[in-house]
Amino acid sequence: MNSSSPVGEAATPLVFEAVDLKKDFDDGQVQALRGVSFRISENDFIAITGPSGCGKTTLLQLLGGLDRPTAGTLRYRGNSIEDLPDLAAYRAREIGFVFQAFHLLPTFTSFENVQIPMFETDRRPSQRAERALELLKAVGLEHRLNHFPSKLSGGERQRVAIARSLANGPSVLLADEPTGNLDSVSAGLVLDLIARIHQEQQMTVILVTHDMEIARRASTTFLMKDGQFVDGSPQH
Amino acid sequence: MSFLTVVVRGLMRRRVRTGLTLIGISIGIAAVVALVGISRGFEKSWEVGLKARGTDIVVSNMSTSLTPKPFSASVLDRISTLPHIAATCSLFVELMSIENSEMMIVSARQWNCFGWENLKLVSGRMPHDASEHAVVLGQTAAQVLQKNVGDPLQVEATELSVVGIVSGGALVEDGSAILSLSLFQEITGNQGKINVIDIRVSPATSEKEVNALCEQIQKTVPEVRAVSISQHLSSSQGYRMVRAMSWGTSLLAVLVGVLGVMNTMLMTVFERAHEISILLAIGWKRSRIVRMILCESALLGFLGGVVGVMLGAVAVKILQATPAIRGLLEPDLSLGLLGIAVVIAVCVGVISGLYPAWHSSRLTPGSVLRG
Repeated sequence: MNSSSPVGEAATPLVFEAVDLKKDFDDGQVQALRGVSFRISENDFIAITGPSGCGKTTLLQLLGGLDRPTAGTLRYRGNSIEDLPDLAAYRAREIGFVFQAFHLLPTFTSFENVQIPMFETDRRPSQRAERALELLKAVGLEHRLNHFPSKLSGGERQRVAIARSLANGPSVLLADEPTGNLDSVSAGLVLDLIARIHQEQQMTVILVTHDMEIARRASTTFLMKDGQFVDGSPQH
Repeated sequence: MSFLTVVVRGLMRRRVRTGLTLIGISIGIAAVVALVGISRGFEKSWEVGLKARGTDIVVSNMSTSLTPKPFSASVLDRISTLPHIAATCSLFVELMSIENSEMMIVSARQWNCFGWENLKLVSGRMPHDASEHAVVLGQTAAQVLQKNVGDPLQVEATELSVVGIVSGGALVEDGSAILSLSLFQEITGNQGKINVIDIRVSPATSEKEVNALCEQIQKTVPEVRAVSISQHLSSSQGYRMVRAMSWGTSLLAVLVGVLGVMNTMLMTVFERAHEISILLAIGWKRSRIVRMILCESALLGFLGGVVGVMLGAVAVKILQATPAIRGLLEPDLSLGLLGIAVVIAVCVGVISGLYPAWHSSRLTPGSVLRG
């Protein structure tokens, strides 16, 4: 069993705890996760790294409640994610997602894209707009409010996506290869932004990357291969 | 940004397809407005015509055609002595092709009966007597036939003289050629035949007594039907058929609209599977996705309904102006009908969106990250 902090020694509250987590696809023909166990505490900055197809993204999906494990247990703050009464509310309020391909909605401006997750909150339209403006300012895009994604550079799109992921004030940021589609300058800016969010907002960040250089910016690295953590992982 | 903005953006994604779907629904709704409006207007104009003549009970033998079947004029003798009857008027009402009009109402009325009282001369004079080869034309009929006082008018093989232009207080009356019953019977070879008896009851007669009188007339003369004017059209098989046909045709057009919207919304859901997965991934509930799709299809229906109502109204106006039916009908484009048409359109939208919405709710957010 691998863990970022050994059982019984968690100094800060646990955010995620996984025990023998497995995920199969195609009726068991593909075993994406082969029994991984770990603990992630509040304010951790975790990088999950490994070659393509090693199960990084699958793990992120399970953490984000986008998929269900085939076997094993995955808890968020002590509660089994599978048994959460409202998985959509968990995704909306507790988790912020950043994707490699940005996944902004093409028919909405930056300003509107950031407001989209807030429909699942009690915020009034004016409050949603206010919050979106605040977030876009925070990522340095106040001058791109009314631009559609197609009119933004890759780095700008990812910054809009980061602003969107923070819309509902989540406690966990899940980033799947956030710099995968960016040039080195934009990638640096995005990573700096994620690091800043982690520090300023005391947010738990879990970042999936196949780039060891990027992984080194995290406080802990999980190295994966063939659906399992490699011996010695997590690496500090 | 409101939820409505999200819904509108969804529709604006594929403007051409949305536009074409809108046209599809609009045509269906236009058909409802035009066909139902015309059939209702047709009924209404007859009813107003009957009321204008001061008729309380209509005795006729309504068949599946629009005009009643002829029966013996002696029927009048058998019912005229019944209680509460203040006056009677025998008529022969026929839809005929006259000169350049393919369909003209010819209303032949018993000479000097109350059926002539509502006619107000606009120009010329009334016929001198029942045997004069004369006809008066309602104002619309005169326009349609392009006749003035003094002009000849060919009815069947007989040439009559237009002696007056009249206003009858109802579209049916204004669209009719009116002449004496005996003259009409003579020129059409229908001697001794009539097809309608209008009855005016005594002023103090209650509705209950009117209904009782109708029953009594039927008992006395079983071969005809006597109905009060309020029941006259609703009991007519011909009108019921017209009504059923107009609704049936309209609903077929609406069904085509349903399939169009359903196709569009399904395509939308298929095309936007990725987008819907993103929305689910960032926390949107499935119920909100379903609501979004249903609102899009309902909005599409609503807009189609509004455009359809306008198209239908224009179509009716064009139909009204066509020579074949000019002056014969005043379509009922009441707010009620237009409202019903828009409600139907919204229902079309919602019903069409149900399956696509259900389909969208089955999408999984995981595909976003895998993709």
